[in-house]
Amino acid sequence: MVKEMLTGNSAAAWGARLSEVDYIPAFPITPQTEIIEVISQWINDGEMNAKFTNMDSEHSMITAAGTAAATGARVFSATSSQGLLYGYEMLYNVTGWRVPLVLVNVSRGLSAPITLEPDHNDVLSARDSGFIQIHAETCQEILDTILMAYRIAEDERVLLPVLINMDGFYLSFTREPVEVPGKDEVSKFLPEYNPKHAFFKASNPMSQGVAVLGGSAYSYFKYQMHLASLNVLTVHDEVAGEFKRIFGRSYSAIEAFKIDDAEYVIIMSNSFTIKGKAAVNKFREKGLKAGLLRLRLIRPFPSNELKTLLKGKKAVAVIDQNISPGSGGILSKDVTTALYHEPDRPEVILSFIGGLGGKDISHAEFNHIVEEMEKSIETGIVPETQLLYTKNDLDQINNLLNIAGKTLEELRN
Amino acid sequence: MKNSTNEMIKRVRFHGRGGQGMKTASRIVGTASFLEGFFVQDCPLYGAERRGAPMVAFTRLSKEPILERGLIVSPDINIIADETLLGDKNANVFQGIWEGTVTIVNTHYPASHVRNVHGIVGEIVTLDVTEIALNVIGESVLSSTAAAVVCKLTGVISESSLEKAVTRELSSINLKKETIQKNVQAALICFDRIPEAHPHYFEPIKEDKKDEIVKLEYADACLGSPSVYAKGSTKLKKTGNWRLFRPVIDHEKCSRCYTCFVYCPHSCISIDGDGYPQIDYDNCKGCLTCFYECPKKVISKDREVKAW
Ligand code: SF4
Ligand code: SF4
Repeated sequence: MVKEMLTGNSAAAWGARLSEVDYIPAFPITPQTEIIEVISQWINDGEMNAKFTNMDSEHSMITAAGTAAATGARVFSATSSQGLLYGYEMLYNVTGWRVPLVLVNVSRGLSAPITLEPDHNDVLSARDSGFIQIHAETCQEILDTILMAYRIAEDERVLLPVLINMDGFYLSFTREPVEVPGKDEVSKFLPEYNPKHAFFKASNPMSQGVAVLGGSAYSYFKYQMHLASLNVLTVHDEVAGEFKRIFGRSYSAIEAFKIDDAEYVIIMSNSFTIKGKAAVNKFREKGLKAGLLRLRLIRPFPSNELKTLLKGKKAVAVIDQNISPGSGGILSKDVTTALYHEPDRPEVILSFIGGLGGKDISHAEFNHIVEEMEKSIETGIVPETQLLYTKNDLDQINNLLNIAGKTLEELRN
Repeated sequence: MKNSTNEMIKRVRFHGRGGQGMKTASRIVGTASFLEGFFVQDCPLYGAERRGAPMVAFTRLSKEPILERGLIVSPDINIIADETLLGDKNANVFQGIWEGTVTIVNTHYPASHVRNVHGIVGEIVTLDVTEIALNVIGESVLSSTAAAVVCKLTGVISESSLEKAVTRELSSINLKKETIQKNVQAALICFDRIPEAHPHYFEPIKEDKKDEIVKLEYADACLGSPSVYAKGSTKLKKTGNWRLFRPVIDHEKCSRCYTCFVYCPHSCISIDGDGYPQIDYDNCKGCLTCFYECPKKVISKDREVKAW
């Protein structure tokens, strides 16, 4: 094993390379482009043996990925933001075909207004598509998760595609030391894919994704997809166990940070979790029993594990780095639903929106979150979803509005 | 009072323009720190990606795992590789600097001049790294020279790690051996020119600036939507200070063929009443297309040294 300085994008490319994928349909989009640049360079230089095709759009790209996977090829692809949405229709198709490909999303806030920095409305828009979703916190985790994802996706109990998320810029363009496993170790962990389910060949015609008319057939196949997704809760832990045995690094569906004696728990996902961990350390220095959970496996949602981890805690605050306008944070609903019937559940569950379009979540904001948790316990009143915003943020937007010449008086004249 | 966690980490912020090599500079410092055994992160941040636009890059090195990511608001070392950014409000090159920040400016001016003009706090170091790059490498690409200055100021990176890092990073972008050699040479010159690390350097960084939470209220859609209603805003943004070289037309020898007028990609050349081309220096970006295209070779280029 060697450690190298790698960006999240390069780590993703290494994941695909070490998984010995057969086919990569691609379409560039900032901040994902480096992934496919690195892979195409390797293929060009003869360092990687795979077929690379530059498509005309993400819609074609996801279609090509799904159809190739239906022939039994191991397929990798990557996109981001608007690109994922452009191919959206095909996400539901490839899950319906039950083909085990791996797609990386480099998250970036959705337009309009256009931006290049991350939040998770892009990847969570695929929440109900049937894709398994795993969200990564570090560059190492991206590489490792890709290896694990093929094992999970190709498991006979699953056969669903996996969507892996990394934050644009915070991971995609950030280099940090990453251990790149050797080929031999990887082949011990991830054997060649020998499909029993999808194996189109010229000599072996079959039909997949056929039309069904009538709700009972349609429901049957949709329910099967749901059951397959739930199987991942078991399969993930088995695969993670074996991963740990071979590579020494361990991943669980939910990462627990200083949780054992914690009374106040912050729930986050993806790379901003590091800010939460730093905040927890500061709270602990002041004697406050704070802890943090990072949601890693998003679909299927690990409800039971969450219940166990949060049993008897005083207060929980979910920070959603996404927004469902008119409703609030997407993940806070999953968390609340999971806990509702638990007799020993936390007294209060608060919901916050933060980090949209890469906005910082400052220590002042974490302070506010903890104060709000304390206040809710005291009063028994839980406020509605809170939109994290600071005076500094407000100064910045006022400055921009000024540059744009947007004082109301001017507009009315 | 010493703050134990903050002593462990050094945060470096690089300011430059797209194409000047600041991303590579942040990577050279990152790799050199990695070779010294530190925990490291480096990353660039672009706005809309184009040559010449202001950009920032960051490197963090630490004895302990790094519990932060993304932008560095309060740098320990702040390098401004393009002096024209000093006066650019949007580039915000002095953001978050404090008494413990070492600010490095690539300029031929002495540090005292920078302090007088900009009144910034902390230590200031100046060095004309562009001059060194032009002399030794023959190009105004500043990645290795800027990285060398930073490496020296960290006080924890050796010359040999710098040398290895320059070679490794420039090989990874497929530069020729000869060019890499020249870069190493230029880097070592800069490393030598910079004095030892500043003593204030190890003082703890300030606590997070106090900030308050605000509750947002509904705003009229004219304000609450991302639109610009004011007219003519593009012309307020002058691009003349992007220039490294100033094209100068020798009107005595100009044949008035208008080739430069046609080729200027930024429409910065107009024809005056006598039929001579005139350059709008407020906006000419110094791309030198006119310099290369003039069939009579009567356009010369002058290095801009006092852009601010
Ligand atoms: S240097 Fe470029 S921008 Fe300036 S006048 Fe010549 S062609 Fe136009
Ligand atoms: S291209 Fe040269 S000769 Fe022709 S108009 Fe421009 S400066 Fe004069």
